[in-house]
Amino acid sequence: MKNNKKILLEIKDLKTYFFTEEGVVKAVDGVDFKVYEGETLGIVGESGCGKSVTAFSIMRLLDYPGKTIGGEIIFKEKDILKKSETEMRHIRGKEIAMIFQEPMTALNPVLTIGFQISESLRMHFNLNKEEASKKAIKLLTKVGIPVPEQRVNEYPHQLSGGMRQRAMIAMALSCDPNLLIADEPTTALDVTIQAQILELMKSLLRDFNGSLIMITHDLGVIAEIADRIAVMYAGKIVEYADKKTIFKNPSHPYTFGLLTSIPRLDMEMKRLNVIPGIVPNPLHFPEGCKFNTRCKFATEKCREKEPDLTALTEEHLVRCWHVDKVIQEAKKIF
Amino acid sequence: MNRILKKLFSNVTSLVGIILLAFFIVIAVFAPVITPPLSDDHYQIPRMSWDVNPQPPGSPMSDNMKQAYEFMEKEVKWKKAICGTAEGGYDIFYGLIWGTRTAFKIGIITVTISMLIGIILGSISAYFGGWIDEVLMRITDIFLSFPFLVAAMVLTTVLGRGLDKVMIALISFGWMGYARLIRGSILSTKEETYVMAAKALGVNDTKIIWKHLLPNTIFPVMVQGSMNIGSMVIMAAALSFLGVGAPVGYADWGQMVSFARNWIIGSPGNAGQYWYAVFYPGIFIVLFVLSWNLIGDTLRDILDPRLRGEL
Amino acid sequence: MLSYMIRRILLLPIILIGVTFLIFSVFSLLSPMERLATYVRDPNTLKNPKAAERLIAKYHLDEPYPLGYINWLERMAHFDLGWSQTANQSVSDAIKQRFPVTLELVLYSIIPVVLIGIWLGVISAVHHNDMIDQAIRVTAIIGWSLPSFIFGLLILFIFYGMLGWFPPGRLSSWAQDIVYTGNFVSYTHLITIDALLNGNIPIFLDALRHLIAPIITLSYISWAFLLRITRSSMLDTLRKDYIRTARAKGVDEQTVIHLHAKRNALIPVATIAGMMIIGMMGGVMITETVFTYPGLGFWAAQSAQQLDYGTVISFALLFSTIMVIGNLVVDLSYALIDPRVRLE
Repeated sequence: MKNNKKILLEIKDLKTYFFTEEGVVKAVDGVDFKVYEGETLGIVGESGCGKSVTAFSIMRLLDYPGKTIGGEIIFKEKDILKKSETEMRHIRGKEIAMIFQEPMTALNPVLTIGFQISESLRMHFNLNKEEASKKAIKLLTKVGIPVPEQRVNEYPHQLSGGMRQRAMIAMALSCDPNLLIADEPTTALDVTIQAQILELMKSLLRDFNGSLIMITHDLGVIAEIADRIAVMYAGKIVEYADKKTIFKNPSHPYTFGLLTSIPRLDMEMKRLNVIPGIVPNPLHFPEGCKFNTRCKFATEKCREKEPDLTALTEEHLVRCWHVDKVIQEAKKIF
Repeated sequence: MNRILKKLFSNVTSLVGIILLAFFIVIAVFAPVITPPLSDDHYQIPRMSWDVNPQPPGSPMSDNMKQAYEFMEKEVKWKKAICGTAEGGYDIFYGLIWGTRTAFKIGIITVTISMLIGIILGSISAYFGGWIDEVLMRITDIFLSFPFLVAAMVLTTVLGRGLDKVMIALISFGWMGYARLIRGSILSTKEETYVMAAKALGVNDTKIIWKHLLPNTIFPVMVQGSMNIGSMVIMAAALSFLGVGAPVGYADWGQMVSFARNWIIGSPGNAGQYWYAVFYPGIFIVLFVLSWNLIGDTLRDILDPRLRGEL
Repeated sequence: MLSYMIRRILLLPIILIGVTFLIFSVFSLLSPMERLATYVRDPNTLKNPKAAERLIAKYHLDEPYPLGYINWLERMAHFDLGWSQTANQSVSDAIKQRFPVTLELVLYSIIPVVLIGIWLGVISAVHHNDMIDQAIRVTAIIGWSLPSFIFGLLILFIFYGMLGWFPPGRLSSWAQDIVYTGNFVSYTHLITIDALLNGNIPIFLDALRHLIAPIITLSYISWAFLLRITRSSMLDTLRKDYIRTARAKGVDEQTVIHLHAKRNALIPVATIAGMMIIGMMGGVMITETVFTYPGLGFWAAQSAQQLDYGTVISFALLFSTIMVIGNLVVDLSYALIDPRVRLE
């Protein structure tokens, strides 16, 4: 897919390590991807593969003992990693916003919803209490919360799970950020609410014209909402392409494994695939390609040397020695 | 366990505490060697003279005193009061050495017994629940309604002076914390599956409490107990300071400080004249309690998983 | 929450009965003669066996337990608390006289306890494991280990013995003359306030001068404890998800700490602080004794020494009642601070 959109965010060789008592955990070990303006990038992978850490690295909100030790995060053509903390504070909430997985614990229990939503407005735009409150009510309406004038004065525990997540979304979008990062926003919700929230996010995306990074382990969610997809494993991107390519033409064994492990209506499948083994301990990654221990296409070369991220086409990157084998298998099924 | 010990020894604060504690243990163990007792009651501090005023360190025994001892056919091994004498001629050094034993006695006995009472009541209360729990908790509330020092003071007044009465007072009002602690632990452990499994198999109640619940919940209570040893000693000293603790002349640090109020200001123009009467027993109390607190504080930090830098 | 409040209030009389019963039981450990002594002004009257018998019957001291208890309780309810040998007044009069003295001391002591304890606790948590944190913690641990009476004696020695700045007692003799006999109107019996109301600055300053050393002593163990609790609670709170959310919004660190974190962290601390303030009643005995401050505590310690049973028992009654009611108030106010409890 030829592209003449502008790049909003570009990550180059990002490395974030955690220096713990037991050793160094290379949570993010050389991640590259691009987010275009107005598009949604889905980052998909199992728990522990480094997706959330990537998000925190972008926001520069890493907890001790984590540290970003290398790479570039180019946002609006400037490297965020080189900015001062004061400059970051002006970016957070205003240009890049984030929503989290657990809406109950992510909202402050002793402050009203209205306060928490209008806080960013008062801070970034210097609105006074009146104006901020009015805008907060409007935002609550926009995210589909009924009786917003009343809700604005209520506390998080008085709202249901779905409503809290809507409130979080309202909070994140209050300053019209250019980029919204959503870290597993629907995982903690009931399936029916999940669907509602996804619908809401899709409609809001159309309205606010910003970009979204959707982090999840759920391929179903990715299929709904992403334009482009980055598949992560053990701290690295293993495949990056647009949605259609990923789903029809997966080129990495891991992507292939993920896709064949969920039932699909658009093709015939006799059995669901299982990716053998478990995610490796981040303190003891295997030599060579990190996926080789679980990969059915693995050869000696895979165990010795780690493949680089190579471009199959301009917008399709894969990190594997045996892409051709995977494509062959995929052709049979997809 | 080994990891905990290793951490305790490597942390500066707790290491200091351990060294201090070792110092006191040595003194307590070798008390009869350092200062041999003069009478059957080892804790009766011998007098160096009949002086009302405290005498400075290095004062020799008065002549009348020497004669008195000869008369009583007692052999006195030392000739000078190394740390001086307290009001009434009591040898401070003797009091410090034997007072160490007293401190350990008070600390360990009161904590052990009150912990035992607390654990028994707390676990019964938590395990059986219902009205047993209700009644026991109300009783705990009633006991908790007394400020500790006031309650202890009332008891020692009514029961009389003496170290055993002091310990009874401290135990009577010291068990509630442990009871609540273990009750809370057991209430959460009780719902665990392995306990339910044991119950379903028909294991009797006492066995369940003994074999399943207690071993998993008792550790924090014991940690709390060891940290309380210091405060028990302070309480006993406070009671002695107020005049309702150990009797006059007993080898107890608090008792030695109790006279201090009168002598702390010294005589006009010489404020620090009787410094030794307060300083020596005072510093022993402080260091003793400090050692327990240093160890205890570090222990608490070690056992707190969040502070171990875990992901 | 309402049901919780009702339950607590209903339990109050039960606890009070339990408390009074416990006190009575301890009192009954004394012989009838000893108990009798608490009611008579002149101990010599007891030497007459006939009179003694009559009095024993009058005060129901030889009756079986439950009746004796009810009788005693009735008497207490009418404030007939007996006679205090140490004070040479009736116990109730002595309490009335000394209560404001202690109250003044405690009220002023609350300020440093709360301010220093909480303020340092927050700083300590924010600078977790820094030099500052270590320094504060060591100070707190030493504070923990230094018994209040030794600390008090130290303060007395330095600030009075050596420097002569803060004398013991409540007022200098010249000030006493004015307050107790001269043109001084005692509105509240809190001398500092009364002095201001009377427009008498020298007396105000004199009273303050006598208060400083006891305040330092009384507050000191309390703030060391409060510091540790605040620190622990802040550390817990700073790890919560909503703090990360606040930072993700770009909220500056000061606001994160003092608005988002502190408000949550202080909720459990507030209830403990409340109970500690009530618990200061124990510390009052030591502090007043060290500085010969003529309040309830000093009188209680004296009467314990002199085996003035009546006073001691009345003391137990007074303090435990204050504690029970105080704890209830603290518990109920928890509901006011925490919106999760309030709006259930």
